Amino acid sequence: MLEWLQRTSVAVQIRDSLFTFPVLESIHVVGLALVFGTIAILDLRLLGVASTDRPVSRLMSDLLKWTWAAFALTALTGGLMFSTNAVVYFHNTFFRAKMILLVLAALNMLVFELTARRTMDRWDRSGSPPRMAKVVATLSLVIWVGVIVAGRVIGFTATRSTVPAEAAPDVNFEDLLGLPEK
Amino acid sequence: MNQFALWLASTPPSVFIQEHNAWAIPAIQSVHIVGIALVMGSVLMIDLRILGLAWTDRTLQQTTRRFGPWLTSSLWLLLATGLLMVVGEPVRELVTFSFWLKMALVAIGAVVAVAFQRALRRHEQQWEGTLVHSPSIKALAILTFLVWVGVIFLGRLIAYDHVWGSWSPARRL
Repeated sequence: MLEWLQRTSVAVQIRDSLFTFPVLESIHVVGLALVFGTIAILDLRLLGVASTDRPVSRLMSDLLKWTWAAFALTALTGGLMFSTNAVVYFHNTFFRAKMILLVLAALNMLVFELTARRTMDRWDRSGSPPRMAKVVATLSLVIWVGVIVAGRVIGFTATRSTVPAEAAPDVNFEDLLGLPEK
Repeated sequence: MNQFALWLASTPPSVFIQEHNAWAIPAIQSVHIVGIALVMGSVLMIDLRILGLAWTDRTLQQTTRRFGPWLTSSLWLLLATGLLMVVGEPVRELVTFSFWLKMALVAIGAVVAVAFQRALRRHEQQWEGTLVHSPSIKALAILTFLVWVGVIFLGRLIAYDHVWGSWSPARRL
């Protein structure tokens, strides 16, 4: 399945192009910056740190459509990058950690929907939302920072066979650390 | 620039980062990404307010007072982590076309951010009354957002400077 994915014409075309992979990565970073940037605004509101003069529901309707649009962009570009070297990414520890963190982020959102969200009409305007909302907001910030860290480390640990040989000079970590090439 | 980068790479702080690069570089880069995410979130909110697409129950001044300080502090965070990356990997950063084009765009973005907050403080009536509805200010809002998108692209392209072909000084190394 992974090997089939790597052989699809889309994956081959991205691999063969000097430009496509860097452009996909750039769009991926723009997307995740908007995901984290907008989620952080909502989480800080739930924590009672910022935007406390606005109802949480107003903030959610202002923010979440942009969060989801940016997330779709990030997932699409992420999927395309994954396809270029599916076997290596799939077996990369940090890729797996990132996927687990994304699942945790989804579960965290579900917990919010099933708990604090149900009573939101009572605390919508409150500067200090209930404890459950604060717990979810804290976890959300921690999980998303984790997603960013894991994502960045993938770039240092997955072998760069997708990158053309003419790539800019880069540090070879395995060599510097005296580790065997993976 | 090549000579300077090589000299910088031989200084103790640079050597320290190089010796701990396995965790130091990804860690600094991650904080840098969190910083640009906070910038993007703040810029998006102020720009959407100017476009009338969000924060419509708050004035432009109120929206900017909410996000301006976050934008400014995030820019300082980006400067600090950016400097650490330049010190840690001087040749990789400085001997590229992407880096210097990025710096030009960062300068434009930062000047616009500071000038806008100042102008808004000084001419609040004018901004809330007419300027916020003017098409050229709305166009400028979209343009500044795109400047930061460009900054992210160029930041990522530092690692792929070959995309610039013969414009890239990294090719001659």
